[in-house]
Amino acid sequence: MYQKTKIILAILLSFSFTQAKDMQEWLRPSEIPQPKNNKLTPQRIELGKLLYFDVRLSSSEKISCATCHHPKHGWSDEIATPKAIGHEGAVGSRNSPVILNTAYQNRQFWDGRAKTLEEQTLKPIEEGVEMNMPLSILIPKLNAIDGYVKLFDIAYPKEGLNKTTLAKALASFGRTVVSTIAPFDNYIMGDKNAISKKAKRGFKLFKTKAHCIDCHEKFNFSDGSFHNIGLNDGELHGKELGRYVVKPRASWYGVMKTPTLRDVTKSAPYFHDGSVQTLVEASSICANGGRYKYNVKNKSTYIKDRGLSRQEIDDLVTFLHTLTGPDMKLKIPTKFPQ
Amino acid sequence: MKAIIYFLLITISINIQAQEHVVDQKNKTFLPSTMKLEVGDTIRFKNSDPFAHNAYADDKANEFDVGMQFPNKDKVIKMKKAGKFNVECAIHPNMLIEVEVVE
Repeated sequence: MYQKTKIILAILLSFSFTQAKDMQEWLRPSEIPQPKNNKLTPQRIELGKLLYFDVRLSSSEKISCATCHHPKHGWSDEIATPKAIGHEGAVGSRNSPVILNTAYQNRQFWDGRAKTLEEQTLKPIEEGVEMNMPLSILIPKLNAIDGYVKLFDIAYPKEGLNKTTLAKALASFGRTVVSTIAPFDNYIMGDKNAISKKAKRGFKLFKTKAHCIDCHEKFNFSDGSFHNIGLNDGELHGKELGRYVVKPRASWYGVMKTPTLRDVTKSAPYFHDGSVQTLVEASSICANGGRYKYNVKNKSTYIKDRGLSRQEIDDLVTFLHTLTGPDMKLKIPTKFPQ
Repeated sequence: MKAIIYFLLITISINIQAQEHVVDQKNKTFLPSTMKLEVGDTIRFKNSDPFAHNAYADDKANEFDVGMQFPNKDKVIKMKKAGKFNVECAIHPNMLIEVEVVE
């Protein structure tokens, strides 16, 4: 009898340990990843925040980083729009990606063309259809603002105010843009009433029949990988070639990075082309085989018709709502260094 | 005639020396994640996951790209020159092997 009890206990313990381990991977890691040469400090974060919201970083002095990645809209476009609107109303080729949890990604941009936030952060400043500000003009401009020179000296002593430290400061702030505790996190941490029965059904579908987990995995609900989900058919003549523009690798044809699903209810429209307004439509496209089911060149093998009913899509979307937490505590600066 | 025999002997001896190393792609991970090989050795990439993978290296000396690799399909790549480089999966950039090829 004693022996039997021991065996049952061992099975139960092993089951609960496995379950706890499985659940753990959905929780945010305790530390924000940061490079050795740009460790986070309060001074660097604060400086990066000022720069992030400062319109003087654009040539028109009307656009800041926050224009396309605004905290009030899930760190996506301040004014919801399918394609990013930049310098003098120029329309970009893609939907502004949310910058939430980018610290946990090892490729930046929809096409992954930057490996680090330091590498990523200067590109939109110089891009003609975005902030249109050449660094050759911006760096002297910032050096002429005493307030910034002092703050850079405090944040990066003896490194100066140059494009490297500018990138470091902006990246430091970017790393602190992380998701808050959502109802789903409370559920994972043990509050079984934190999400509804319908949402629990949706979570189960997410992990099983719908196969969402194949791409949207772990705490950030992204595998950090690149997929062509069949938004367009056949050859992509004149359309978005995705990561293929970084290098014409066959497996990169039309692929885009898997976006996070954290705070996803705040950042419509969806997908790299901003072609979808609702989570119902987005979920239906992904879980039911893509917008185009056949003849899509290099379509991801993850994207298949999973045969989800309308009720099941509804459950899935209810679950997605539980991934949205309260807005991050942030005081948006109104005064800038002079 | 002698030259042909010598050529065949050399070819056979090279083939005997060259080894095949197996890399499996499972749970979005390359196994093993570090490798030390000799010039002429080959890597056989397997895919035990139920979805497609890829393996490529942008190293000048040993550049390759196996293309789309579907489940249960193998791809074999020969190491041409000495050097150190990384092999990545083009679809899953978190997958990485550190490779060292020696003479």
